[in-house]
Amino acid sequence: MNTSQRNALPTPKHVCVIGLGNVLLGDDGFGPLAVEMFRCKYECGSNVEALDLGTPGLDLAPYLYGKDLVVIADAVHAGEKPGTLCIYCEADLFSRRAQLRLTAHDPGVQECIAQLRVAGHAPSELIIVGVVPESCALGEGFSPAMLSTSPIAVDKIARLLVERAIDCRRRDAPVEPNLWWLPGDRSSHTEIRSARGHVFQTSKCRQLGNR
Amino acid sequence: MARISIDPVTRIEGHLRIDVEVDGGSVQKAWASCTMWRGIETILLGRDPREGWAFAQRFCGVCTTVHAMASVRAVEDALQLEIPANAQYIRNLILLAHGLHDHIVHFYHLSALDWVDITTIPKADPARAASIADGVSSWPGNSHRELAAVQNKVKGLIASGQLGIFSHGYWGHPAMRLSPEMNLILFAHYLQALEFQRKSNQVVGILGGKTPHIQNLAVGGVMNAINLNSLATFNMDRLGTLQSLLQDLIPFVQQAYFVDACLLAASYPEWFRYGRGVTNYLAVPDLPVDAKATKFDLPGGVIMNGNLGSVRPIQDWHDQPIRAAVAEDVTHAWYMGEGSQQPWKGKTDPYYTDFRDDGKYTWVKAPRYDGHPMQVGPLANVLVGYAAGHPLTRKWTDAALDRIASVHGSKVKPEDLQSTMGRYLARAIRSAMLSDLALQHLQLLSANILKGDDTTYNPPQFPQHEVEGVGMHEAPRGMLSHWVVIDKGAFSNYQAVVPTTWNASPRDQKGAPGPYESSLLANPVADPAKPLEVLRTVHSFDPCMACACHTLDASGREIAQVKVL
Repeated sequence: MNTSQRNALPTPKHVCVIGLGNVLLGDDGFGPLAVEMFRCKYECGSNVEALDLGTPGLDLAPYLYGKDLVVIADAVHAGEKPGTLCIYCEADLFSRRAQLRLTAHDPGVQECIAQLRVAGHAPSELIIVGVVPESCALGEGFSPAMLSTSPIAVDKIARLLVERAIDCRRRDAPVEPNLWWLPGDRSSHTEIRSARGHVFQTSKCRQLGNR
Repeated sequence: MARISIDPVTRIEGHLRIDVEVDGGSVQKAWASCTMWRGIETILLGRDPREGWAFAQRFCGVCTTVHAMASVRAVEDALQLEIPANAQYIRNLILLAHGLHDHIVHFYHLSALDWVDITTIPKADPARAASIADGVSSWPGNSHRELAAVQNKVKGLIASGQLGIFSHGYWGHPAMRLSPEMNLILFAHYLQALEFQRKSNQVVGILGGKTPHIQNLAVGGVMNAINLNSLATFNMDRLGTLQSLLQDLIPFVQQAYFVDACLLAASYPEWFRYGRGVTNYLAVPDLPVDAKATKFDLPGGVIMNGNLGSVRPIQDWHDQPIRAAVAEDVTHAWYMGEGSQQPWKGKTDPYYTDFRDDGKYTWVKAPRYDGHPMQVGPLANVLVGYAAGHPLTRKWTDAALDRIASVHGSKVKPEDLQSTMGRYLARAIRSAMLSDLALQHLQLLSANILKGDDTTYNPPQFPQHEVEGVGMHEAPRGMLSHWVVIDKGAFSNYQAVVPTTWNASPRDQKGAPGPYESSLLANPVADPAKPLEVLRTVHSFDPCMACACHTLDASGREIAQVKVL
């Protein structure tokens, strides 16, 4: 390594925090909720995008393309009780630990990753921050279990970034989340209290550890 | 007689179940069933019509833009509100880029692997493949080096024993007939398509502020601020970025995708004989070129009984016959009652029974036009344009048919497009047309701005009495219409009649099957346990059952099944 290389600043990592899910289907809207809460509570460098992508199916691929780190927030059916926070890495996704449900937009995360992997443009690291939903029936709004775990999941996303030396700071003055799809008095939904006694299910992936 | 149930059909958007009865190697009877409820319109009742589009574009995660557009057009129609020319062009550019994106993803990522056997790629000679590709196209991504690199990737994938998503293909099936070199060329473009899919997305993002779920729409126009001298608004710089993105994208569409579709058709000519199905076609005009939406760059029309000479052109969205002719039949769908209702009076009251062959068996209603089932989609779009003598449609359709004749030797006629292969080819023809039009509409936008027009929005006014409107859009999968009733400034009814509802429709009160169902009759099936040929015909429609619940399943159980009963 020559001197100029050693002195050069490291290239900032390209990071994307993605929320998946349908806001019109109750707890399925966890992903969009988490991204909005994350954006309002934390401030990141311009190398970090935070996007609510809904249920894009194969159209997810362009947002994963060439990224260093992708964190996906999504509702997961893990056979645990509603509100359980589950963290998965890419290997979990492919080892059937967390498999995509086919009843949904069938081609999804797994397919996009597999395509991009062959093409040589897959993200270097993929982490899924999931919460077990109580109900994904038609209608806006969240279950109490989802509301109490969401802030913990959001802090977890921030911690995952910080642990990877990615610029992510708590805002001095938090911004009010715009949860535009929630019915009636939206403010009651934004006062999301931190819950006690929630259950963690952690990944077996080494790089994620068992925190 | 074997009964095959494919549940769900994979490599589509959403959840679809197909049941067929097979005898003597071909399909005798077919049922299409959507197994998830689509009653999502009810969420719009009572809402402010100005924000309806933001909810409507969450109906589906893939076709977000098209629902947003149909929703604002429906409200504007109800209010008889004209939008500025700039707003038309900006909306058109979003629709053009979205359409290209959608068609590219369908051809390569959702359906190519029904025809392309990737397990033969290690046997290909990359030099020969490069020379075949060079002989038919000037696409720069066909070099010997590029193709050899793709071959190595596939060899690595197969050697690893982990084919991943590629492990579900019907590899080695007798109906897979491309040479290893052709398989290599098409798979190389499958990988390159990932890059071009991004570029079309960027066009939507620049104009829509965000994608998916564009943010720039408003009832009355768009919210893009135009000021050529300001850095913060839509300016020359943005116009230049759009131009260069489109100039990168268009060669891929016209020299790779379009050519690949022609080669595929020339290699599988027998598929022009299967999958005809319902031969009534419906397409609506789209891409208005003036503020009042009196002239359009994509023609609309109605063709009955496969007779191209009988085309009735649809001049504009005020067409009275369409408004009177569309009705949805619920006789065989899981909703209360029987018979049909016009969408403005339509109801969405679920009534679930089991899957009953002769009773109710799907969540999809059966839309009918004057009581007839209709096929919608790129094929309908191309056929009505061709029949009406639309120059751009003729240019690209004739180019495709000539190309197929030069490779295959025998001439395919425009009438032959009424088939499984015709639907694939029509989508490629439409993509080539949309590419030409994308640059034209960018030109229309910049010329209008340079003229000094910077208006993008006309504010809506809501009457106190009840008004009805319909918003139409010729979406990638075909004619989309949102039907709204507005009373005292709030939605009192909202019905979306989506393209897949037309095509995946069940039987109606008279027992007439929908396009998927009738297209499968006489479809060959060599091996009932591997119904690849059924998938080819179903995938030719680009099914999007949509609006489904997207969640992860950590249990890892096998959900997709092919059952031979």
